Amino acid sequence: MLAVAGSVVLAQGTLDRSKEPIPGPPPMLRVPAWTRSTLANGAELVISEKHDLPLVSFTITISGGYNQADPAARRGLAELTASMMSEGTATRNGDALASALQLLGTTVTVRIGGESGTLAFQSIAGKFPATLDIVADMLVHPSFPAEALERLRAQRLVALVQARDQPAAIASRLFPRIVYGDAHPYGQNVTEQTLKAIARDDVVAFHRAYFRPARALITVVGDVHAAAAKAAIEKTLAAWPGGGEKPAFQYPAVPAARASTMYLADKPGAAQSTFAIGLAGPPRSTPDYYALQVMNTILGGMFQSRLNANIREEKGYSYGVSSSFAYGRGPGAFRAGGDIVSAKSDAALTEFMKELRGIRGDRPITDEELSTAKDALTQRLPGTFASAQSINNAIVSLWTQGLPDDYYQQYAARIAAVRREDVLRVARQYVDLDHLAIVIVGDRATIEAPLRATGIAPVAITDIEGNSVQ
Amino acid sequence: MRKTAALLVLACAAGLGAIASAQAPQARPAALRIPFESYALPNGLRVVLAPSPVSPTVAVTAWYHVGSKNETVGKTGFAHLFEHVMFTGSGHVPYGVHDRLTEGVGGSNNGTTSRDRTTYYETVPSNYLETALWLESDRMGFLLDTLDVQKLDAQRDIVKNERRQRMDNQPYGLVGEIVSSTLYPPTHPYSWSVIGSMADLTAASEADVKDFFRLYYAPGNAILSIAGDFQPAQAKALVMKYFGAFPRGAAIVRPAAAPVTRDGETRLVYEDRVQVPRLVIVWPTVGLQHDDRFALAVLDAISAGPRTTRLTKALVYDRQLATSITATQDSDESAGEWRLTITPRPGVSLTDLETAADAILDTLKAQGPTAEEIQRATAGLELDFVNGLESNLGKSMQLADGLGYHNDAGYFQTEYQKTIAVSPADVTRVANKYLTKGRLVLSVVPIGKTEMAARPSESTPYRRTDR
Repeated sequence: MLAVAGSVVLAQGTLDRSKEPIPGPPPMLRVPAWTRSTLANGAELVISEKHDLPLVSFTITISGGYNQADPAARRGLAELTASMMSEGTATRNGDALASALQLLGTTVTVRIGGESGTLAFQSIAGKFPATLDIVADMLVHPSFPAEALERLRAQRLVALVQARDQPAAIASRLFPRIVYGDAHPYGQNVTEQTLKAIARDDVVAFHRAYFRPARALITVVGDVHAAAAKAAIEKTLAAWPGGGEKPAFQYPAVPAARASTMYLADKPGAAQSTFAIGLAGPPRSTPDYYALQVMNTILGGMFQSRLNANIREEKGYSYGVSSSFAYGRGPGAFRAGGDIVSAKSDAALTEFMKELRGIRGDRPITDEELSTAKDALTQRLPGTFASAQSINNAIVSLWTQGLPDDYYQQYAARIAAVRREDVLRVARQYVDLDHLAIVIVGDRATIEAPLRATGIAPVAITDIEGNSVQ
Repeated sequence: MRKTAALLVLACAAGLGAIASAQAPQARPAALRIPFESYALPNGLRVVLAPSPVSPTVAVTAWYHVGSKNETVGKTGFAHLFEHVMFTGSGHVPYGVHDRLTEGVGGSNNGTTSRDRTTYYETVPSNYLETALWLESDRMGFLLDTLDVQKLDAQRDIVKNERRQRMDNQPYGLVGEIVSSTLYPPTHPYSWSVIGSMADLTAASEADVKDFFRLYYAPGNAILSIAGDFQPAQAKALVMKYFGAFPRGAAIVRPAAAPVTRDGETRLVYEDRVQVPRLVIVWPTVGLQHDDRFALAVLDAISAGPRTTRLTKALVYDRQLATSITATQDSDESAGEWRLTITPRPGVSLTDLETAADAILDTLKAQGPTAEEIQRATAGLELDFVNGLESNLGKSMQLADGLGYHNDAGYFQTEYQKTIAVSPADVTRVANKYLTKGRLVLSVVPIGKTEMAARPSESTPYRRTDR
């Protein structure tokens, strides 16, 4: 220790801190291996072994989500059905089911999102078989007690009321409603009315149609042996009747985008205004995906991206602003925004618009911006396979997004191939300044006049559901 | 001084239930070795190294033993404001470079401030370890070289927006601040919020930044924790190279912040911009330095959460008076709080909810929990524990907390064992000792609806004082 200290004190005298250390060669991308097979009932199975810790991550993913399966008049059915799966089975009532899972030290989550659903858990390896047994019971024999439906419905009705008190939650309901309209699944919200229209029979029918092996992928990652795990799953899920089919993901056309408009929803006394600025974008399958990733990283995907560097760091108008594309099977939205101190709502909007014009060419992309964005995207990848859960997620997202098995191996080359002119082209194509929905939820009494005075777009006053008011 | 240790993680197929029930522990734990070592540099900087080759990344955590507890009345929020200033560049690292060399190479960075400590971290691809140490050491050694009042002003505005976003513009967002200012006397350093008051943030000066930095941001008050894919010998040489020459720093007088006890009940009603009321009941308890916190944590896990817990089962499931209930033991370094938060079903009064919750807790205090309740509450800890080992960042932060608060980087192992050793009698004892009359009952109600409070005639309106 003393010898080490002595030699370093000498070295200290020559340390030139003004030079950035030069990093060694980047770590190799090590994408975990996995094996694919098909169960007798038709479900796809992927297993990836990882033995450094006694952990297993298990997921059943179903293709399609509430955008495919929810009737417009009973929006919320998919989500309620997912919750109902934890309310008991033919042989275990809700308390017994919860207790059994707790004693196994795990939690089973059932979620149905916009375009896929999952039934998932993590467990200690030794408890995997026992947990799997219970999960199979939940999947195949849910009892859907009527009283549970009423309790869950009542909870959601309260949550809807509470969402009306949160500016960010209001903006997240308003923005898609305005961009996609109520005839498009992306624009439909769960409301008091749709929740109240859901009956137990709907839940039973939804479960029967949705949770089918022919539209399912089962992924197991962690401390298992593939052959034994496959045999156990085959046996445990033998009672899951085959059938079902993957949805086609056909969406109606997005309504013709309206000329840019500011939609202002009043939240009296709000200390901040929540901004959501954007429009419908491309699906995940677009060949422009990689150029869009680079473009958005420069615009608003990182801390030092243009939007945050300007509106937060330089101007101090916000705790943080960003932009993103909601890629999916359909035309997910481009959305920029954040929470802005009320008194600077007008100034912040001016800066947002300046940066959106900038990325379209007003402010040329520098070499450093381009290389940093690419580095950030590609060098993130080797570290994303750290945990059984993250490996599982990586496998599942290939499947839900329809991507090839060598996607991760190809990713860096695809990003590297993006040229500056590609970035500019996709910015001009997708950040369409003439057709922006500029949704602002805030204190109308103090922000309306300054926002109008910017002249950026005409103002429409809406209620918090997106209906026009005066 | 050098210390090396290997953690033994229990990963027993027999399950923790056998241990937790304290009946017949026949655990046959398979030993999981999590290698780490801790040592100190001659200048007092304590270092933890936890190498793991699983993911080609490295997490670097710099932990400083300073938080809002070290502030004084009139300067609240300063420790957190200072945390922001630490990201504005330092002597040899111009503003923006820190982000470019972390997030910009596929990593991340952030900082967090609590009542007791301030933690900074970077996660980077493993070939950027030296870069991360260069970044961290430069702001530990040379922050003031490039400090100016403009940088402070910019961060001041940002922090005010953070306060607005997290608290002022958030339904129920002021509950934490109301609880702190009521539970602790005004001179107690836990009586103000970590984010501080707007007035104090406005008043913070450049001189405050300099004084604070010189006193608290020195090796003798810091821990450097590194977890991930690296060679320990190389990391040690780099740590010495970048941190070894800094002076230790002055001795620090730690503020007194003992746990509090309250004689009687305080009842408040706070009118918020909400439509749904909420009942919050808080009892002062103990912090990290007192082992009763383990039984208090088990008490919260058997009281609320899954449908098998007492309050949730009775009030959310069986009687359907509430839509949600949470119970938490929050343990800070010097003191803690046991908090119940209940959201009513429409039409149910907070008075009725309070009465119902009290009756359930009284039964629990009188009869104690069953062994199976304890078993259910602790069975999931094993998975949480092993899960936590998968994240280099989580590991580096946990090791630093252990060393900082308990002088033992491997303390999370002790913590785990003490939690699974909690018995029904322990829970009964702490429930009776802490869940007493000396509590705060806070009703959050819609503006103009103070009659919706729990026992409204006995509840005093809470008046916000912008200090």
